[in-house]
Amino acid sequence: MKFIIFAGTPGSGKTSIIKHIIHELKDDFKLFFAKFDCLRTSDDEYISNEYKIPTIKKLAGELCPDHYTALEIPRIIKENQDKDIIILETAGLCLRCSPYIKEGLGVSILDITSGDPFRYGPILTQADVVAISKGDLISQAEREIFRVKVLKVNPKAKITEVNGLTGEGAIDIAESIKESLSIDGRKLTLKHSMPSAICGYCYGNKIIDEKESRQRFLAGKEIKNMLPDLNCGKCGFKSCNEFIRAVLDGEVKKEKCPFIK
Amino acid sequence: MNDQIEKITILPGINKFNEKENFERIDIKKGEVIAIVGHTGAGKSQLLYDIERLAQKDTKSKRKILVNDEIPDKDIRSNPKRKLIASLAQSMNFLTDMSVEDFLRLHLESRGKKSKPGLIEEVINEANRITGEMITPGMNLLNLSGGQSRALMVSDVANISISPIILIDEIENAGIKKEEAIRILVEEGKIILIVTHDPSLALNADKRIIIKNGGIVKVLNVTLKEKGIAHYLNWIENYSLNIRDKIRQGEEIKNVEIYCEPIKSKK
Repeated sequence: MKFIIFAGTPGSGKTSIIKHIIHELKDDFKLFFAKFDCLRTSDDEYISNEYKIPTIKKLAGELCPDHYTALEIPRIIKENQDKDIIILETAGLCLRCSPYIKEGLGVSILDITSGDPFRYGPILTQADVVAISKGDLISQAEREIFRVKVLKVNPKAKITEVNGLTGEGAIDIAESIKESLSIDGRKLTLKHSMPSAICGYCYGNKIIDEKESRQRFLAGKEIKNMLPDLNCGKCGFKSCNEFIRAVLDGEVKKEKCPFIK
Repeated sequence: MNDQIEKITILPGINKFNEKENFERIDIKKGEVIAIVGHTGAGKSQLLYDIERLAQKDTKSKRKILVNDEIPDKDIRSNPKRKLIASLAQSMNFLTDMSVEDFLRLHLESRGKKSKPGLIEEVINEANRITGEMITPGMNLLNLSGGQSRALMVSDVANISISPIILIDEIENAGIKKEEAIRILVEEGKIILIVTHDPSLALNADKRIIIKNGGIVKVLNVTLKEKGIAHYLNWIENYSLNIRDKIRQGEEIKNVEIYCEPIKSKK
């Protein structure tokens, strides 16, 4: 099984390009498409209707969508053992994060109109393939300069120009996917650590105040120490952090967690 | 680096209905100017894209492009330092926030070339010959008008992205001196392909490729008679531009006088 992660800022054209790639691959491989987002999406439905491949929608809700993605990957793999290629589209929010995994293929979709590549973190620097989108909006001169800048930020990347509207370049990415290694029997590791979640805001603090945030963090940590940190969902919340938030806000009693005696 | 291009060849692909294109091969030799014509959405830009990419049955059209009768090396497709092709697309805007001068220098660098003294000035001067509004080296790219941007792109293609093959997409919509731009771009010994809706540009080429429903349906050699007609059309356009100028200057247009003398064709 090959595991492909597509990351890129919202509106960069991830879904449009993925559609063309799925079109290229669907006849020769058993595909699965997982769409991660924060609040709402219907891309998974569109893709399953249009290309007749199984898909899933994963909404992160109150969680950091990239942390959530990393949490969900094992389940997706376990449930899709019969597939050849899993294509996962991230929510694509901050420039800092990238749940790319070393053993799979990480594709960064980079909107050429979105500014200087130097601003980007692992989402660009750790990608195996950088697909530059919307190049048709600017001159060849600017495209060439942009390409050089991307190479400075990520010298190892394979760079492709793509067009989500016409599908140009999708074939090149499909080729990279075919060439990527199988993840079977390998332990998956993140290419880069994600930003840690260690403040009062992680436990649902809303007040912008150092002291408040600190207190919230300490109160949250106290509950956290009692929890198994399994994110098992038995309490009705997606994650332990969400559960802690609800406890601190007085919505539920902490005993709702089956692991707290 | 192999930039000795004698010819490129288009081998047939398929149209939008998956039907094979009805030609054996189209050879385009060094020095030829080819117009690509057809309705909006017919697939003209796709042909330019196939050539820019040196397609090997790996684009929508499934066409194959040969260079000097051979399948071109993969690296020359994407590496700007080895690129054989300069293209002038329909886009009119710059997005980079820097001065004209710095931008041109950066582009030279990304093509792996060193700046010669006076080259940047020459690029700007040449651009100024095709736009009515003066561009200066210190101007910010973002402040250029549509016409200025386009003029700068034309001059960049002619002077910095120096390549044996030049692709031009609808230059007539740019609000610049079309003929002057073409004169700068069309140099001896290059292969030029122009997508156009403009009759005088199409009739001024050596050949024209007609595209319909995503496929090439015809290739015509432009006749001498047609070149004469192109001249005539050009005259009409310039006449109209002249009237436009007068309107802009606040003059009253009193009458239209037409005495175009078509160039004499051989009897």
